[in-house]
Amino acid sequence: MNEGFGVRSLHPSVLLLYYAGGMTFGMLLFHPVILFSGWAASMVFNFHVDGGKEWRRWSIPAISSFVFLMIVNPLLSHRGRTVLYYLGDIPITLESVVYGATMAASLLNLITLFLSYRVLMTEHKFLYLFARLSPKAALLVMMASALVPRLRRRLQELMLVQKMRGITVTEGSLVQRARNGTRLVGTLLSWTLEDALQTADSMQARGYGTGPRSSYPAFRFRWRDAIAAAGLVAAAVVVFGLWVGGHGFLTIYPKLGAFGLSAGDRAAMLFYLVYLLLPLGWEWRDRKAWQALNSTT
Amino acid sequence: MASIELHNLTFHYPDAAAPALTDLTLSVQGGEFVVLSGPSGSGKSTLLRLLKREVSPGGRLSGSILLDERQLEAWPAREAASAVGLVMQHPDNQLVVDTVEHELAFGMENFGFDRSAMRRRMAELAGFFGLEPLMSRRTDELSGGQKQMVNLASVLMLQPRLLLLDEPLAQLDPLAARELLGMIKRLNDEWGMTVLMSEHRIDDILPLADRVLRLDRGRLAFDGPPRQFAQEAWRRQDPAWVEALPAITRWALSHDGSDSIRAAETPPLSVKEARQWMHRRAVQAAPLSPAGPAQSLGTDVAHKPLLRADGLFFAYDKRSPAVMRGLEWTIRQGDRIALFGGNGSGKSTLLQLLAGLLQPQRGEVFVEGAKLRRLPAAARYARIGYLAQNPLLHFAYDTLQEDLLHAARRAASANPAEEVRRMAERFGLQDLLQRHPHDLSGGERQLGALALALVSRPQLLLLDEPTKGIDALAKSRLAGHLLAAHETGATLVVATHDVEFAAAYANRCSLLFQGEIVADDEPDTFFRGNLFYAPPLHRLFHNQTPSPVEQAVLR
Repeated sequence: MNEGFGVRSLHPSVLLLYYAGGMTFGMLLFHPVILFSGWAASMVFNFHVDGGKEWRRWSIPAISSFVFLMIVNPLLSHRGRTVLYYLGDIPITLESVVYGATMAASLLNLITLFLSYRVLMTEHKFLYLFARLSPKAALLVMMASALVPRLRRRLQELMLVQKMRGITVTEGSLVQRARNGTRLVGTLLSWTLEDALQTADSMQARGYGTGPRSSYPAFRFRWRDAIAAAGLVAAAVVVFGLWVGGHGFLTIYPKLGAFGLSAGDRAAMLFYLVYLLLPLGWEWRDRKAWQALNSTT
Repeated sequence: MASIELHNLTFHYPDAAAPALTDLTLSVQGGEFVVLSGPSGSGKSTLLRLLKREVSPGGRLSGSILLDERQLEAWPAREAASAVGLVMQHPDNQLVVDTVEHELAFGMENFGFDRSAMRRRMAELAGFFGLEPLMSRRTDELSGGQKQMVNLASVLMLQPRLLLLDEPLAQLDPLAARELLGMIKRLNDEWGMTVLMSEHRIDDILPLADRVLRLDRGRLAFDGPPRQFAQEAWRRQDPAWVEALPAITRWALSHDGSDSIRAAETPPLSVKEARQWMHRRAVQAAPLSPAGPAQSLGTDVAHKPLLRADGLFFAYDKRSPAVMRGLEWTIRQGDRIALFGGNGSGKSTLLQLLAGLLQPQRGEVFVEGAKLRRLPAAARYARIGYLAQNPLLHFAYDTLQEDLLHAARRAASANPAEEVRRMAERFGLQDLLQRHPHDLSGGERQLGALALALVSRPQLLLLDEPTKGIDALAKSRLAGHLLAAHETGATLVVATHDVEFAAAYANRCSLLFQGEIVADDEPDTFFRGNLFYAPPLHRLFHNQTPSPVEQAVLR
C-alpha cells in the first residue's frame, strides 16, 4: 500500500512512540471496560490500516488465547472472597473470574495492537530506527537480511543437484542422512565464504573503512510527525497522570470493588481512546484530500 | 579523466614460481576505452586489481604504476578509493545490502556524504541508469543483468575517474550483456570516463573499443587499435588469437585470402561494416555452410525417440505463473540439441524436469516408452545426466579426486580408482586431482563437473549454459569433449544463449517460449528464419535468403 499516505506516512520514530505508549497503557490500565473499549479502538485502527486483513489472519489464535486465559485463571487462582460455586471441591471466585477476563482483555489488546504494528513498521522502518542506535549493527543486519534468501536459494539448488549423486537427506539410514546433511551444509558454507571474500572486496572497493560513515536518510521528520508526536505525548501525559492518581484500574482482590467508572476513570478512558485513535487523524485527513481531489476532477 | 602509466611492472604472487605479470610498460590516455584481452590466467585480473589499490593482491611488485602522473601508493586512501571504480564478474557477490536504494547509497555512506548530497547524486544517477522503478526492490529479486547494472551504478556514485571492469559480462545473457555494454560505452562517450575492461568474449566489444591490449602469460603481446588487432590475430593464425575475433571478421579475413591483407584495407568488425565491405568488393554471399559437423547427422529420422515430454505443465507454486504450459517435445537418440529461449523462459526448469529432478504437475516424461517417475531414482540419474549452470553445485568433497571416486563407486564401477584415473586423463585433469574444487578456474570446474556426470555413462546428457563465463579456448575444448561423448553414444541437450556455439555443434535447434517449444529444426533452417537467435554470419546474409514475405508468396 501507499507508504506516503495517512498513518503510513508517519516517521518511524513517531510510530515507535505510538506503539510503546499503546502497549504500556494496555498493561497499566486494568479495567475491563476501559480495556474492551481500547480493544475496539485498536480494531478500528486495524481496519483503517489494512481493511482488517491482518486481523482476519490472526483472529482465531487471538480469540482462542483470550478464551483460554479467561477459563484457566479462575480454575487455577482461588483468591477472592466471593465464591460463586464449587467445581468438585475447587472454589470458583467472582474475583478470579473478573481478573481473568481483564487479563485476557489486556492480552487481546496487545495482540491487536501488534497486528497493526506488523503492517506499519516495515523492516525498512525498523532498520532505520535501529541504524540510529548502532550503524554498524544495522549494516550487519542488512547484510544478513540480504544473505539469508541467497543462502536459502543456494541450499535448494545444491540439494537438487546433489540428489543426483545420492547425497541427500531424504533417503538412507539415519547416520547416512546426517553425514550427507553435514556434507551439504559444509559445501554451502565453503561456497558462501568464498563469495564473501568477493563481497568484502566490493565493499572495500567502494571505500568501506576509509573513515567515518554516514547513513542514508530514508525518512524525513515532517511537520505532521511533530504534530502527531506532540498530540501523543500530551494524551499520554494525561493518562499517565490519572493512573498515578489512582484512576483507570479496578480493585479486584481481595474483594471486587465497584464496577462502575468514576469520573477519573472516565477521563482516563477518554484520553486513552484519544491516544489510540489520534494517528487516524492523518488517515482521515488524507482520505478527505483524495475525495476532494476526485470530486473536482 | 584519468591516465594510467605502467613502467616495467612485474608482479609475483607469494608462492608462484613464475611472475603473474612481467615487465609491463604501457600507458592509457584519459578518456580511452581500452579492452584487455587474453586467455584465462594471462594476468588480466591481476593487472586490474593492481590498479585498484583497495583490492590489490599481496605479492612482490616491482616497477611503478602512475595514476594521473602520480604514484598510486602516494594517493590518500579516500581519494584513491573514489578515483578508481571496480566492477567484477559475479553480479551477486558484489551486492552488499538488501535494497537497491541502499546498495546505491552504500559507497556514499562510506565516504560520510551528507544527506542532501547523497539524495542529489542518487537522483541523478538513478535517472541516468533507468533504475528508478527498481529503487525499493530487494536486490535478490533482480535479474542478473539488473544486478550488474546496480553494481555499475553504485560504483559510479563515487564519480570515479577510472572505471575498471573485470569480465563484467561473463555471467550475463547476451541481451543483458549488450545493454550493460551500451551503458559502459555511453559513460565513455558522454562523460569521457577512462574505461579499462577485461573480457573473454571480445567480439561484441571490439567495434566499440579504442584500443586492445592483449596479455599472454603476463606479458604484453599486443597494444593497438581493434582493426590492427584483427589483422595481427589473423596473421598469427594462432587459434587462441583467432577465436577472440568476431565471426564476421574471421569470415571477411578468410574470404580475403592471406595474400591480400594490406594495411589500408581494414577488416570489418560488425555486420553493418561487413555489408559495406561486401558491397565495396562486390563479394557475393557464399551459400551458408557454417564450419563444423552440423549437417552430418542432420535429417536422419530413423533414430528412435529417447525421451518424450508429453503435455508437461509446471509452476513453482500456486500463485506464480506456470513455467511449462503443456510442453510437447521429443528427443531422439543421437540428437545434439541446442535449446534457446529468453531469460526466465524456463530453460533450466525444463532440463530439470527432463532429468527427473522436478516433477511436473501435469503431463509425463517417458524414457524409451517408460514413465520417468516410475524408474528408481538411482537408475534415473545414471541414465540421464544433468549439468547445472553453476558447475560448483556438483562438487561436495574436498578434492576433485574424492568427488570422482564417489561418483565412480556410485556408478558401480569395477575399479573406481582406475576409472578416476581414466576420466582425469580423458579430460586433462590429472594435475588437478588433489585440488579443492573451489580452487579450479571456471573452465576447469566445468570439465570436472562434466567428468562427474559422464562417469555413469548416461544415455542422455542435459547441460545448462555450459559455455557461460569461460574463454574461447576452454569453450572449444569443452565442445570437443561433448562431441567425443556424443560419439560414444550420449545424446546431448544444451540450453544456451551462445548461438555460435550452437551453430557449430548442434544438429537440432529448439526454441522455448511461454512454456512451449515453438521452433524445432535443423540449425540452418532454424537460423534462417531468425534475426536475433542467429549467428552474425546468418544475420549478414539475411537479406540474401528469401524474406518471410517472399516465402509466404512462394507458398
